[in-house]
Amino acid sequence: MEEFHWHRILEFVRAVAPFDALPQQDLERAVSAMEVAYFPRDTVIIEQGGPSSRFLYFLQSGSARVGLPGAGEGGGELLVDERGEGDTFGGLSLLQGGKAMFRVTAREDLICYLLPGEVFKALCAAHPSLERHYGASLARNLQAVREHVSCELPALAGLEGMSLSAAMMRSRVRELMSPKPVTCLPAMPVKAAARIMTQRQVGSIVVAQAGGHPLGILTDTDFRVRVMLRARSLDEPVAEFMSAPPHSISPDAYAFEALLAMSHHGVHHLVVVEDDRVVGVISDRDLQAITGGSPVGVVRAIDKVASVGELVRLHPSIDRVVELLLRMGGSAREMLALVTEFNDRVTTKLIALTEEDMEHSGAGRPPVPYGWMALGSEGRREQTLRTDQDNALIFANVPEASQERVKAWFLGFSERVVAGLERCGFPRCTGGVMASNPDWCQSEAGWQKTFLRWVSDPKPVTLRLGSIFFDFREIYAEADYLDTLRLRLKQAMEENRLFLRYMAANALYNRPPLGFLRQFVVEKGGEHANKLNLKLSGLTPIVDGARVMALELGIDTTNTLERLAAIEAQGLLKKELAADLVEAFSFITLLRISRHLEARAEGRTPDNFVDPESLNNFQRKMLKEAFKVVSELQSLLEQRYQTRLIT
Amino acid sequence: MSLVKAKLANLLLRRRVKSRDLHPNARANLEALEGLDLAAPLSACRFVVLDTETTGMDPETDRVVSVGAVRVVQGRVRLGEAFSELVNPGRDIPAMAVKVHGITPDKIASARHGAEVFEDFLSFLGRDILVAHYAKFDLHFINRVMRGRYGFSLQNLVLDTVLMCQAVVLASDPYGISRHQKACRLEALAQRFGIAAPERHTALGDALITAMVFQRMLARLEAVGGTRLKDLMRVAQLK
Repeated sequence: MEEFHWHRILEFVRAVAPFDALPQQDLERAVSAMEVAYFPRDTVIIEQGGPSSRFLYFLQSGSARVGLPGAGEGGGELLVDERGEGDTFGGLSLLQGGKAMFRVTAREDLICYLLPGEVFKALCAAHPSLERHYGASLARNLQAVREHVSCELPALAGLEGMSLSAAMMRSRVRELMSPKPVTCLPAMPVKAAARIMTQRQVGSIVVAQAGGHPLGILTDTDFRVRVMLRARSLDEPVAEFMSAPPHSISPDAYAFEALLAMSHHGVHHLVVVEDDRVVGVISDRDLQAITGGSPVGVVRAIDKVASVGELVRLHPSIDRVVELLLRMGGSAREMLALVTEFNDRVTTKLIALTEEDMEHSGAGRPPVPYGWMALGSEGRREQTLRTDQDNALIFANVPEASQERVKAWFLGFSERVVAGLERCGFPRCTGGVMASNPDWCQSEAGWQKTFLRWVSDPKPVTLRLGSIFFDFREIYAEADYLDTLRLRLKQAMEENRLFLRYMAANALYNRPPLGFLRQFVVEKGGEHANKLNLKLSGLTPIVDGARVMALELGIDTTNTLERLAAIEAQGLLKKELAADLVEAFSFITLLRISRHLEARAEGRTPDNFVDPESLNNFQRKMLKEAFKVVSELQSLLEQRYQTRLIT
Repeated sequence: MSLVKAKLANLLLRRRVKSRDLHPNARANLEALEGLDLAAPLSACRFVVLDTETTGMDPETDRVVSVGAVRVVQGRVRLGEAFSELVNPGRDIPAMAVKVHGITPDKIASARHGAEVFEDFLSFLGRDILVAHYAKFDLHFINRVMRGRYGFSLQNLVLDTVLMCQAVVLASDPYGISRHQKACRLEALAQRFGIAAPERHTALGDALITAMVFQRMLARLEAVGGTRLKDLMRVAQLK
């Protein structure tokens, strides 16, 4: 080969993942094949639905937006991802061939290095890691689309190494759909439709004309939310309750297109239509099936286990499925809800099994009704992968005389549940916040008294406990103790406004790490030198702030995103700030989850630290924005609760 | 000189030298204007963007020490089609010049002489349109060798990015604030367009920046409707 001239350009390309892994010789060959192109702002570089890209584009300067025309709000373009200096685009479209999935537009004046398709494909053939990387970028884009149509926050938390894409890209709807759809005529009574769905064990029924023209679809969810709530009689026709017209897709569409359509319309079923006739139904479960994990299977398995030992043995596969689902992506809200769902199921099952164990061991049935409370992040439904236990127990009020005996039973019971949870991979709480602790295993009256005591006496320890306990949620309850407790807490809060001021001051303790020069302030020393703590500096301030305001306004939910929505609805948060906070919280959560998954994949113990250097420009920018929003929230808290008055 | 005039001059020249025994490169250069069409869209034109480093600014006594060039096709710079070579100037290199380009006498000790390098460059150039910043300066050195060796000057179309800059970039400066010689300097233009130097400041590195600046100005020209070769010639052709 001729003498190589472009050493700096080569270093630039080498700094772009995954090209860093390529040997010098291949990099030289790649750079020698490159062309430098300029695209003025707003130029459409790749058109969605147009021919696939002919180049892999390396962004030398400027930024580009990856979007889905017509999918955004009001038929505009849905922002899927944003690429900045040192990123690439076009790779997926190149590998995939066919029509381009997304539109790529120059957001600013762009200078790109263009690597011709043939050269790129040859490199992919020689280095499978390249192909994997670009496969994963599809997953990232899909994830961004799944986020939510109206949500402008692209999911950037780079989830590497996933296997979803290949299957999603190659499989067609025809191969995955249920080919013999269950259909009925619009006049069929809902009762009959329900019977058919149960008999055929399907989650949906397509309502079609006799000729096969689809009119609508009725799903399990429709039964729950429409039929159950609205039907005066179960003899009313299905046409009254179906979703019409149904969202449909061609059998020749790719699996990922189905996924896009589902996430775009927020539905779980699509009617597969060919020549205006129903030929099948495809559901999100059909799509999940090709990714290898069957969450449904694991949920069934949890429900079926007969002993604690079996449940413990099941925990690796639960972990695997949760991880897989997380890797498939989704919004922060969905991901958190998903982890919570699995953890709740495990806990509920463990409680039921332990009750049986107690009975078999001669301790007998629970002496009085009780409830199992989830606290902290579990209480807020914001767990990511496995986190420490935070739980408590509440039991019915009993006469003084039997108090000791009843409490002893529940303590023994709690210890067993806690030990079981530990064996299932939930470490014990180092602070002892567990139902097996006599302080946190109380009667209804006991809890009410405890909460009132804390609220009327704000000091560091009660504030800390409050921040854990006031996020309580029932995982299992035989009566409405928790509703009553919540009501009492609300009353206590109204009578003790000072507590809120202290709690607000506490919420200001963790400041977002934006230094004077708008540089990230990172840990100065120790194991996490030069890293940011995502949880403490990003999430905790939002969670704490939302809690204070929710307690003030008497908002029942404990989930931070729901709290923010409710606070906004009551006018305490401006719409824009609330939206920004939701976005900041979601972004940091996604980033945190992706870091956890990475750590797991590499066999490390997940922690909450992230090295800003390891983020790409856009992620860094987003993180800075997120921290700015947190700052804004804290200024609001300072003013509203006059936290300066306490020192 | 319009293309018609250039073609006419070229025709006369070809007649004049027809019977002469010419070097193949020279013979090829006589055909440099062939196939050029004023109505051709800019995206169909091929350019070679050149930059040279010299021993100084005096066209009479100074010589070339380094040549760098890249080809631009379809508006894109082809990194794989680059020309880069040091040239032995056959004279000393003043300390001032060493400071500018960092080419020290020992570096060019083993380099070929101007005439040989020139032959290679001429075959690299082919029939493409030559583009340079202050093209007159580079063209002067080229033509000195051309005339010396072949008896005629370079036949290719030559465009000057400084002229183009005055017409395309500075024309849009209503108050004339930037209408100053310095605004036309390559660094100033690169900065104006936000182009970060992708390579070191060698002849080749500067040829790449010139090409990128040229690329920008082509886009500007096209944005105001100048999409054909004649439009480009009107603003950039070396008079």
